[in-house]
Amino acid sequence: MTARAIEDWQVTAPEGAASEVLALAPPDLDSVARVLEWASLEGRPVIPWGGGTHMGPPTGAPPEILLLTSELNRVVDYQPDDLTLVVEAGALVTDVEALLAERRQSAVLAEHAAGSTIGGMIASGVSGYRRLRYGPTRERILEVTVATGDGRVITAGGRVVKNVTGYDIPRLMSGSQGALGVIGQVCLKLWPVPEASASLSMEVAAFRSLYRPLALLETERGATAYLAGTAEEVAGQAQAVGAEARAGLDWPEPLTQSTQIELRVPAPLVAAAVEQVRAADAESFRAQHRVGVVAAGFAEWSDDRLAALRSWAEGQGGAAVVAAASKQDVDRWGAPPASVELQRRVKEAFDPRRILVPGRLPGGV
Amino acid sequence: MSFAADLRAVLADDQVLDHPLDLHVYAKDAGVTPGIVAAVVFPESSEQVAAAVKIAAKHEVPIVARGAGTGLSGGAVPTRPGLIVALTRLNQIEEVDEAARTAWVGPGVINLDLSAHTMPLGLHYAPDPSSQSACTIGGNVGTNAGGPHCLAEGTTVSHILALELITAEGEIVMLGGAEPDPLGLDLVGVVVGSEGTMGLVTRILVKLTENPPEVRTLLLAFDSIEAAAAAVSAVIAAGVVPAAMELMDQPMIEAVENFKSCGFPITAAVLIAEVAGHPAAVDSEAAVVAQAGRDAGATEIRIAATEIERDLIWLGRKSAFGAVAYAAPDYYLHDTVVPRTRLVETMSAIYEIGARHGIQMLNVFHAGDGNLHPLVAFDAKEPGMLERVKAAADEMVRVSIGVGGALSGEHGVGLEKRDLMGEVFSPMDLDAQARLREAFDPKGLLNPDKILPEGSRCYDFGLVANLEPDSLK
Repeated sequence: MTARAIEDWQVTAPEGAASEVLALAPPDLDSVARVLEWASLEGRPVIPWGGGTHMGPPTGAPPEILLLTSELNRVVDYQPDDLTLVVEAGALVTDVEALLAERRQSAVLAEHAAGSTIGGMIASGVSGYRRLRYGPTRERILEVTVATGDGRVITAGGRVVKNVTGYDIPRLMSGSQGALGVIGQVCLKLWPVPEASASLSMEVAAFRSLYRPLALLETERGATAYLAGTAEEVAGQAQAVGAEARAGLDWPEPLTQSTQIELRVPAPLVAAAVEQVRAADAESFRAQHRVGVVAAGFAEWSDDRLAALRSWAEGQGGAAVVAAASKQDVDRWGAPPASVELQRRVKEAFDPRRILVPGRLPGGV
Repeated sequence: MSFAADLRAVLADDQVLDHPLDLHVYAKDAGVTPGIVAAVVFPESSEQVAAAVKIAAKHEVPIVARGAGTGLSGGAVPTRPGLIVALTRLNQIEEVDEAARTAWVGPGVINLDLSAHTMPLGLHYAPDPSSQSACTIGGNVGTNAGGPHCLAEGTTVSHILALELITAEGEIVMLGGAEPDPLGLDLVGVVVGSEGTMGLVTRILVKLTENPPEVRTLLLAFDSIEAAAAAVSAVIAAGVVPAAMELMDQPMIEAVENFKSCGFPITAAVLIAEVAGHPAAVDSEAAVVAQAGRDAGATEIRIAATEIERDLIWLGRKSAFGAVAYAAPDYYLHDTVVPRTRLVETMSAIYEIGARHGIQMLNVFHAGDGNLHPLVAFDAKEPGMLERVKAAADEMVRVSIGVGGALSGEHGVGLEKRDLMGEVFSPMDLDAQARLREAFDPKGLLNPDKILPEGSRCYDFGLVANLEPDSLK
């Protein structure tokens, strides 16, 4: 790394980041790798940054270098007839989905993704509501190219929809929180968008009569089932449950509260989790029935509330994750997973000097 | 104490084999390459697996996990005198949770037995390899097994929520969980498909899938394999992802008809397609498949009218490998994957290779995934035959890689394709995989010599390695 390169790549720190960090937006993944190699040599903590939309509360050592993927934003190869897309990690989810929509296809990423990048969504392990039908995002990462913590550029997986050639590093990148490397490029498996879709307001108890819905959501305003398929199928299912079908998918707005806690529990416990967040005075919540995720927004921070929700969720074999906090120094994850020692060793296989978001993964990994 | 005596100290007599004749039986899986076995153990609990692993580690004996031995790529074959840990006695379906649609099972549970067990609940275990009446769920986890119905439902990894893992050190660790997105790195995804190189799996939380309310099974006949492959591409391009799309060529159809008489038309190619789902959807989706077939020149289109007709079509498909035994004493089965848009040209190239080497080839494969299974039937006793078969195999793999494909879709890399990994990955890519493996197995005792070619972990890179070589060990 030369002083000249740093000067060329330096940008203003993005909103939401600490202003004293050195923010760099290298022009390609090899340059990203050079920064990481340099940071490893110097022992400077690095935080990879996509759109900055899902960073969560600050966790672990404060970063000195912020690595933006904003210059890596090309669509590399779109094969509609093969339902695959190769795209650079800094591309915006909304741009990519708009491109795919022209061919009535989708990467089935989060429905609300304004400002979010493909790489950021993968690294933060975010899935859309449609995971009930299509599975979580990690199901669709066929190939990745990553710059590791010590500056190696590696590729794993392949551009085919079924593959056991080597270890599944593409899947490992999902939810890795930037702790293993900076994702540079991915190949995603796509799905065709069904010809018809509808949103049905109904009681939670009636959810069970629906076959393969896209999503079953409950919010503070009521419950909605989302259907997609052939026109006859969608109309037939709506008629069978006696619910009025609104054409299209009217997803609930994202939570806006400065304190947000996400409960992750075994799927049958969603109703109980909803009771928990209601009792904890949630202003607003988004419950995904049959999935097991209940995200809740609160007017103000409370240590006691987090402790109570966490104690309940962990007691059910789940977790309570802080997605946003109006307070510094919160414990984002709670009790670490039983495999924390293996997790530490896996991180070090990719980032031997532990410069990538050290301490950001559960258990201080 | 000797290795076997140490094992007998923690396991009962009928749980340890070390007689040479017994060891010979366990020296091979369903592939073509034999190995060398030091002992075989049949643990009956996670604690016994952990104890056996600790003893093997103490004696520095390689450890190879084994299910039913139906693997085709040598994944369960020890290359050096190794301990086979046969997990077949861990065959309990412990707990089926109907509301959560999950089940805790032992690795020795046979794939089809699980679906039979959950049938009364209207649920099934979706991955359905052709060997599903014999293969185990643990073996499926080892290879990330697929099957015809993985086109819409995904392979094994999409159906595994949690695993109990016995680590290389003999510790018992739980990975994943019943909740969505368990905290931390997704180590379940690393272990599934790792062929026993990351640890031994002793309990598995599987996802169960709702049985579809309605199914339409179609059989389409074509007068060329290319026309059938074009129909497959057209279905995908039309925005329909059927539950399954399987293709058989004439030699395979003839072999199956000789074996089971399922009433398949004797023609150049048969495409079996299945659409499953809501009663109001299956007919229109079946119509899309039929139209794609007609556009591609289908000479006959049948839609199974009864459950018996449907079963007969699937009997034909799933009897394929049994039928091959009628055609020749030995067979060699490929498992490459190509992009679905390149199916037609790849099939043409594979037929050309077979003809040029003068080998008997039969094809039955998961066309919807682009997962090819050219099967070479031969007699290994015929002089020079094995060499010809292997030369043709090598060319077929290179053709698949040449169009952007993968070495293996569902059988695993094992021994068979290990030395071809360098055709797909750079030395730095292989080094990264080797480092990941080392994180789980620092001493290299878990199924060594599999998946990664020798020398994968020797890529000392750049300044960071030079600065602190010890930190990279």
